Amino acid sequence: MGLTKQWVSAFGAVLLALSAVSVQAETPKHGGTLVVSIGTTPRHLNPAVQSGIATGEPGAQLFATLVRFDDKWNARPYLAKSWQTSADGLVVTFNLVEGATFHDGTPITSKDVAFSIKTIQTNHPFKSMFRAVSSVETPNPNTVVFKLSKPHPALMLALSSQLGSIIPEHIYGDGQDPKKHPRNSKDVVGSGPFKLVEFVRDQHIIMERNENFFIKGRPYLDKLVMRIIKDPSARSLGRENGEIHLSAFESTPQDILHSKNVPHLTATDQGYAAIGPITWLAFNTKKKPTSDKRVRQAIAYAVDRDFLVNAVMMGTSRPAYTGIHPDSIFHEPNVARYDLDIDKANAMLDEAGYARDADGMRFPLTIDFGWPSAKPMAEYMKPQLKKIGIDVTVRTSAGFPAWAKTVSTWDFDMTVDVVFNWGDPVIGVHRTYLCDNAKKGVIWSNTQQYCNPKVDAILTKAGQENDQQKRIALYSSAQKIIADDVPIYFTDTVPYHTIFNHTKVGNPPATIWGTCSPLDEVYLKN
Amino acid sequence: MTDYSIQERSLQPTSARVEHPLIETARMFAGNRAALSGLAMLFIIVVVSLAGPWFYPTDPFEMVWSPFSPPGAKGFLLGTDYLGRDLLAQIIHGGRATLAVGCAAALLSVFIGITFGALSGFYRGWIEETLMRITEFFQVLPTLLFSMVLVALFGASLGMITFAIGIVSWTGVARITRAEFLKIRELEYVTAARSSGASNTNLIFRVILPNSLPPIIVQAALLIGFAILFEAGLSFLGLSDANVMSWGAIMGNNRPYILLHGFTIMYPGLAIFLTVLSISLIGDGLNDALNPKLRNR
Repeated sequence: MGLTKQWVSAFGAVLLALSAVSVQAETPKHGGTLVVSIGTTPRHLNPAVQSGIATGEPGAQLFATLVRFDDKWNARPYLAKSWQTSADGLVVTFNLVEGATFHDGTPITSKDVAFSIKTIQTNHPFKSMFRAVSSVETPNPNTVVFKLSKPHPALMLALSSQLGSIIPEHIYGDGQDPKKHPRNSKDVVGSGPFKLVEFVRDQHIIMERNENFFIKGRPYLDKLVMRIIKDPSARSLGRENGEIHLSAFESTPQDILHSKNVPHLTATDQGYAAIGPITWLAFNTKKKPTSDKRVRQAIAYAVDRDFLVNAVMMGTSRPAYTGIHPDSIFHEPNVARYDLDIDKANAMLDEAGYARDADGMRFPLTIDFGWPSAKPMAEYMKPQLKKIGIDVTVRTSAGFPAWAKTVSTWDFDMTVDVVFNWGDPVIGVHRTYLCDNAKKGVIWSNTQQYCNPKVDAILTKAGQENDQQKRIALYSSAQKIIADDVPIYFTDTVPYHTIFNHTKVGNPPATIWGTCSPLDEVYLKN
Repeated sequence: MTDYSIQERSLQPTSARVEHPLIETARMFAGNRAALSGLAMLFIIVVVSLAGPWFYPTDPFEMVWSPFSPPGAKGFLLGTDYLGRDLLAQIIHGGRATLAVGCAAALLSVFIGITFGALSGFYRGWIEETLMRITEFFQVLPTLLFSMVLVALFGASLGMITFAIGIVSWTGVARITRAEFLKIRELEYVTAARSSGASNTNLIFRVILPNSLPPIIVQAALLIGFAILFEAGLSFLGLSDANVMSWGAIMGNNRPYILLHGFTIMYPGLAIFLTVLSISLIGDGLNDALNPKLRNR
């Protein structure tokens, strides 16, 4: 009986999957309002001077970029219809789409591009994005020439999604501080597929179709509503009862698993390759005893990555073995993985001279965490490291700012952390390992204070190598050295999922930037 | 009707021998079945919490089996929590911290409350004005919010949590103490003590305070229950000491999974419920036993 029932439901699931596939193949329709939920209120909507996904999701709808990426890491034309790179890689010429205008009707010219890059260079926190750009020349309104001081393989990624937003000079070039410009959150003028109607803090961001979008016939949607809902359970409920069509960056395992039981919902972890979020256990490599590589390696052997993925994250995340996301072309899977081996860990600590005392403990360590979803992993370390004689004290921070202060001022032994790759290793990965990026007071710099001149040399070289295959080889060797040094023990990917109503949403965002790319191809069924 | 019967009874001679007040209280208490069962329940809870860890030594933090194992699986009577830790061990070991926080916080608030109430009730004048304004300030504070801010600011350690609970719950004791002092300081025996040369300290500690204790004791008993509930509330919101197991912490840890695996929250909830219930019953019994108006019925 039970078996038959199971077969019937399995058959039903297959039917459902088939019907979903056949529906996907239908031609996109115009019209309708898509309701998307976002979890935090962005500081403002101008991604040229503000990093982070909160600004990125609406920002990519309001502001267009020179290029966009598909789901296979290929740069595609967007505001630039074509481009040429010189043989030495130091001059990149972009030809802009003709007749493109900003939301207020002003034509987009090469001057706006030059102004945007200048603004980003001086105001955006990701300094490595355009550090190699020595000048942006504008020979005519439709041609932009980037002059580079050294080859810059990350240039195309830095010019896509929310990183390289083209902003109008006639609005933001009025001399005001671009970071505090009033037009960052009101009457925003960009050139993306949607125009801002209203942004109410903690409530919603309402956008409507840009009738004069430079890609004819797009976007398909009439209106795009982003509802700001902080509580994950409220979002989950909203998706279930049909109020919310799509939510991105959902990372609560229970909610992801729950959505898989709701017939009209689909949960996918596609669309986060470029963001590249990784959860890890960071060590203070300048403080005893974690300054000892053997101690760090022993801890790595004692942590059970499979348990973290399958039990703590309930199978929603994927194991991560290096600081480059598994969906990146630069990811090297064949590194030292430190698969669970308690005996080996104990032997290593014995050998390193950390004997057990009368209570069976070798030394105490603290572990910090900065947000609620990191607590299970911190709590897990306590009993787990007790097995190798480390007495772990879990330190609960008074919220994110307090945690950021503790970690960035190097006042920690171990901490749970989540860091994003941001597309290219030059932008989001180098910062964690370069010796000169151990900047006290700056969170998500090299807070481990790790310094290996060999790694420095390889990363610097890889950051200027235009040949993709050579770059892959360089990053591969860097990942192997870092895995051996373990300044960080990488545990798993952040289980970001996009959960959407597949009976309503057509062409859900699936590029490497996911919902932080223009949603001009998304349409509403019926 | 009722007035008449009371009057009639009070006119009758009571017992031949005058009982010691403590014995009288005990007799009154022993006659209260609800209070007695509360006392028995609390006794069991305290014994299990204090002695249990010796009989059931499993480390409450140790991951013993797969997460969310149902009750009974692999010999774990209550199952396991979200990290695969033995829930029975957590309940048994967690009782100590829970009761300790409850008693310590109640003690702290009784101490602050008696100090404020006694000083303002005895000296009156500007001292009373000042202390009562401070009491009112703490009275109108949103208690949960204020404690949350304290714990969030100074870190979620057991000591800080105890302090945060104690510091918001003393106003009731202060008001009761002050009222008792105001009443008793005008009585003849206080005047007598004063006229025979008793110092203020003497009057406060040896004359008035012992006589105002009954309502304070009742309030203190109820405060223990209140503090236990408060600790559970803070833990439920994630503000618990991650290095100490308490019943509230078990609830807080497993709260995100309440819809998927509700049993993990049920046990600590039940333990807290029974403890607070027994304390309330005892408090009620004490109230009845110590209340002179209800005596000699």
